Amino acid sequence: MNYLIGAFKPPCHIKITYSDAKTRKQASIKKENGQMTMVPLFYSQETIGGEVSIEPFHGKKVEHIGVKIELLGQIELYFDRGNFYDFTSLVRELDVPGEIYERKSYQFEFSTVEMPFESYNGVNVRLRYILKVTVSRNYVSNIVEYQEFCVRNYTPPPTINNSIKMEVGIEDCLHIEFEYNKSKYHLKDVIIGKIYFLLVRIKIKNMELEIRRRESTGSGPNTYVETETLAKFELMDGAPVRGESIPIRLFLSPYELTPTYRNINNKFSVKYYLNLVLVDEEDRRYFKQQEVTMYRLLENQ
Amino acid sequence: MMLDAGGEDEEKWLAEGIAGLQHNAFYMHRALDSNNLRDALKYSAQMLSELRTSRLSPHKYYELYMRAFDELRKLEMFFKEETKRGCTVIDLYELVQHAGNILPRLYLLCTVGSVYIKSKEAPAKDILKDLCRNVSWVFNIPFVVSSLGVISLKSVGISCLILVRSMKDGGNWCGWLGNLEHASVGKRHCMIATQKGMVARDGDGVIDAVEFVLQNFTEMNKLWVRMQHQGPVREKEKREKERSELRDLVGKNLHVLSQIDGVDLDMYKETVLPRVLEQVVNCKDDLAQHYLMDCIIQVFPDEYHLQTLETLLSACPQLQPTVDIMTVLSQLMERFCPSFFKWKLFSKLSHAIGKVIDSQPDMPIVGAISLYVSLLTFTLRVHPDRLDYVDQVLGSCVKKLSGKPRIEDNKATKQIVALLSAPVEKYNDIDTALKLSNYPRVMDHLDHSTKKVMAVVIIQSIMKNNTHISTADKVEALFELLKGLIKDMDGTQDEELDEEDFKEEQNSVAGLVHMFYNDDPEEMLQIICTVRKHILLGGPKRLAFTVPPLIFSALKLVRSLQGHDGEAVGEDVPTTPKKIFQILNQTIEALSSVPSSELALRLYLQCAEAANDCDLEPVAYEFFTQAFILYEEEVADSKAQVTAIHLIIGTLQRMNVFGVENRDTLTHKATGYSAKLLKKPDQCRAVYACSHLFWVDDQDGIKDGERVLLCLKRALRIANAAQQMANAARGSAGPVSLFVEILNKYLYFFEKGNPQITSAAIQGLIELIVTEMQSDNSTARPAADSFFASTLRYVQFQKQKGGAVGERYEHIKV
Amino acid sequence: MVLVLALGDLHIPHRAPDLPAKFKSMLVPGKIQHIICTGNLCIKITSRHSFQEIHDYLKSLCPDLHITRGEYDEDVQYPDTKTLTIGQFKLGLCHGHQVIPWGDLDSLAMLQRQLDVDILVTGHTHQFKAYKHEGGVVINPGSATGAYSSITYDVNPSFVLMDIDGLRVVVYAHELIDGEVKVDKIDFKKASTNQSAP
Repeated sequence: MNYLIGAFKPPCHIKITYSDAKTRKQASIKKENGQMTMVPLFYSQETIGGEVSIEPFHGKKVEHIGVKIELLGQIELYFDRGNFYDFTSLVRELDVPGEIYERKSYQFEFSTVEMPFESYNGVNVRLRYILKVTVSRNYVSNIVEYQEFCVRNYTPPPTINNSIKMEVGIEDCLHIEFEYNKSKYHLKDVIIGKIYFLLVRIKIKNMELEIRRRESTGSGPNTYVETETLAKFELMDGAPVRGESIPIRLFLSPYELTPTYRNINNKFSVKYYLNLVLVDEEDRRYFKQQEVTMYRLLENQ
Repeated sequence: MMLDAGGEDEEKWLAEGIAGLQHNAFYMHRALDSNNLRDALKYSAQMLSELRTSRLSPHKYYELYMRAFDELRKLEMFFKEETKRGCTVIDLYELVQHAGNILPRLYLLCTVGSVYIKSKEAPAKDILKDLCRNVSWVFNIPFVVSSLGVISLKSVGISCLILVRSMKDGGNWCGWLGNLEHASVGKRHCMIATQKGMVARDGDGVIDAVEFVLQNFTEMNKLWVRMQHQGPVREKEKREKERSELRDLVGKNLHVLSQIDGVDLDMYKETVLPRVLEQVVNCKDDLAQHYLMDCIIQVFPDEYHLQTLETLLSACPQLQPTVDIMTVLSQLMERFCPSFFKWKLFSKLSHAIGKVIDSQPDMPIVGAISLYVSLLTFTLRVHPDRLDYVDQVLGSCVKKLSGKPRIEDNKATKQIVALLSAPVEKYNDIDTALKLSNYPRVMDHLDHSTKKVMAVVIIQSIMKNNTHISTADKVEALFELLKGLIKDMDGTQDEELDEEDFKEEQNSVAGLVHMFYNDDPEEMLQIICTVRKHILLGGPKRLAFTVPPLIFSALKLVRSLQGHDGEAVGEDVPTTPKKIFQILNQTIEALSSVPSSELALRLYLQCAEAANDCDLEPVAYEFFTQAFILYEEEVADSKAQVTAIHLIIGTLQRMNVFGVENRDTLTHKATGYSAKLLKKPDQCRAVYACSHLFWVDDQDGIKDGERVLLCLKRALRIANAAQQMANAARGSAGPVSLFVEILNKYLYFFEKGNPQITSAAIQGLIELIVTEMQSDNSTARPAADSFFASTLRYVQFQKQKGGAVGERYEHIKV
Repeated sequence: MVLVLALGDLHIPHRAPDLPAKFKSMLVPGKIQHIICTGNLCIKITSRHSFQEIHDYLKSLCPDLHITRGEYDEDVQYPDTKTLTIGQFKLGLCHGHQVIPWGDLDSLAMLQRQLDVDILVTGHTHQFKAYKHEGGVVINPGSATGAYSSITYDVNPSFVLMDIDGLRVVVYAHELIDGEVKVDKIDFKKASTNQSAP
């Protein structure tokens, strides 16, 4: 019976704790089952260290041919679910082959780990970081425990950040000029701008500003593009007349934005667009989409 | 579109709106009770979304708005407590801006804004500025396309909310005291704050307050003005009505400005007035401009106006041309100024206007004139007794106009017409206007057609007020003003004239002549001579209109002289009928050469009769002679000849001044003309009418029975000839009626006792007619038949009368 | 009951500028069923601005307007005589300058026989008159403007309203004397046998 039980249940409990767990900031991520959970938050080139404890169940012993902990950066494309591509892989051997009879702890440390990409959970792709503990065994399957943590990277404010200014229109029908104060916004930024109506010959019903996220995965013929509208912000309710100037003030903080990701490991990209939409009385939509770069600014800065 | 929906639908929509609002308010309350900020924001935003409707009329919308407004008060309390619990007001201020829809966003922002101001975490000034910036989005935004009332209420609602809150809470920052009132404005009951006893604690506060209200005013007015452009054209009228109902909301801003204690003369002069005027001028909307100018003048004290007259006046020429600024200005000037102050006010106003005009050499002429118009209106209202002031204003205008080419600008012309019409209308008496020496000088600057328009205005005024012009001098002055109508102006002969307009103008001049009257014959003759002098310059086209009233006016004078004529009239008395007839003769002669010969002929005959009444045989004879000459030489149309003959015979029949010789000459001619008319029936009728020339049925009238009979026999011969012609031609309405007519003439003279007319002759005539009627088998002559029948009936009637008449008729058998 | 307005010899603007204001205020649209006008409205003008042409004015009082031609009427469309039947009465209309001697009752009677009417309305003399004559009535409404006349001195503005009711006609003569309107009432009855006379 015991033997049988042992076949279905790992014979030990593996726990990974971070050395600075109490002070470490946490971030919420979406688990595979869809629930949100809080995990520690790291930045690139931080040192990740802690303790792994292995505790066999009620007096059982665990025979092994070595214990290791890995830090993995993985990209999973959903059309190829379950198949992880590791772009970062660091290993620390924790134990030489032997037997564990009682709770045993191992210190580990990955110092100044280069984690170039941020954790990301998209529509068709996921980028995650995990710590993976493997108790290798002969003849029977390895005992594996892993824990995900979150990585974010800060970018310093861009030195060049021009405004976006453009005149668009439909000939003899609608001419507008719009301006967004920057082309690069940090995630808690406020978009300030205005729309100036140069010519209005159609009856506009309302106008809104959308924030759209465009995620593209794969490459070549296997490119998948997914666009989501993250925000719809009404700017105007009613018909403007020529000469009207409508101001914009859009706080980005309420929206779950990420920085712009460009060609992450040749696997995917995430880009953001501001889409200005005007709707006329017959519900025709006139829009102009402009890419903006999102970046993560060091908080408290 | 939406507005066309019936009231029933509207009730339904309102009920739906209220239900939605209550539903969300319920959840909002729950969130408030459990201190759940997130949900509170979520449900309050949803609740406020009900205000986004465009389907309700302003009235119903207001009902909805007030419910939401009540809920927002609870939310405000919650926000206040929330800040005590640790959520910073700045966070709240940002949080509410996350709302996706603009309308809930702004309502929430205002609500938090109020808490923010109170928290003193940021300068109230900055918060208000930020709020205003937000609200200006609203003002920039017409919320609804189809329903105007809602547009305004949506946005005005918000701005009022701000105004209310900022005042209430602004007490902390600029020291406004007193209780806030929610005044209901008109039917709309829109929220607006009136503030009693506002006291400014420091100068900065006042400036902030002023700045805020000014900004609010500007944005509100912009919105108000643009309301008119919203929605379908066919609802424009309705929209204008709604707009005018909302105007007090805009005006309230000015009222609030006037009540801020720190707004002293300097600030008014330097900041308030220029800013307000800038908006008034720039909005380019006549309704708004008229109302707001009125408002400015009403709400600020008169002392301020006195000190800023130039600024105020300089805005006037920039207003839309349709704005009736003069009324506004003058009415209010009058109201504000105590009477002892008036004389000073005129010179001040006059001076200010002069300065404004001088300082702006580029000002279009229309602007300058419109200012003079307003000054004039003011003067007429306040100093109706000071003609010299009125003349002075006109004089200034002449000065401004002098050296300028004749005005061709339409608007300027209109203004001049207004300028010139004002005194005429005010005094209801052209006499007064005629005393204004500068009046004609202003008129000289008008183009020809406007001069005519002005002349018509003057004439109308005279007619309307039944003003009698009683001296020749005044007539002279008046004609100077009217010369555009009286004669062709230089170089305008070739101008295309509208025939109907011309007729109308000339008829009005004709009517005017009757307004010249003086009891004193001498003065009246002077008047007539003056009129004559002017109208004879009018050229051939005008004479036909203007000569007849002059003739009749003169004939009336003749008649008034008749009573005391014939008595000892000294040679030195200038006004004698004879002299007047002389003038008349010459005047009609001018008419006959036009040619309006038929009219002239009638007038000669009128004069002849008048001369008869004055016992002036040669004069009467002369007039007849003139009439005959015209008849012979000028009257060619056969129908006109018939009428003329009747008039000649009719007049001649009444003449008793002629001696035998003259009389014979004239009657001979008249019968001659009669017999020469073109158509036999006309000949016949004229000839039997001539019989009356020889038998005048009064005491010393001529009674020549023989010649009467001759006429009647001649008429019978003509009737016979006509009969034969008709027999030959067949078809033409037979002249049996002529015989009956002659029979009636026989009966007439028979009754009058003409011995030449015998009962036998009458009997013969009756039998002749009976025979004629029997032999003529054509059926259709009911008129003649009934005429004959009623004639016989008459004979019967006379027979039965008995007495002398009955006896005479005894021998006639019917 | 039918109300008929009879007037004539206005001579506007030759001899008077307009109808007296007093008359105008009395004459309101909708009260009168027929207007008969003997003529001499005088000048025909189509008014656009100031003067309301008298023809249009009368038409506005009552659309059933009958006019004969006076010697000063420019409008040659007006007939010399006109007859119309109102209720039991036959009315004849003529200016009267054609009937010589002017205003002579016996001569007018001839015209009445000729037109075979119960009521003859003529003008020209500017003197109000209403006579019963041979079972008929002869009316002259005078001059509505009180226009100068060579025939009549001291002309007061006058017009006539006839109230026709069955076999009865009541003539209300309105005369403007020193700014006051004086009304005289004259009653006529038509002998019912007259109707069936041959």
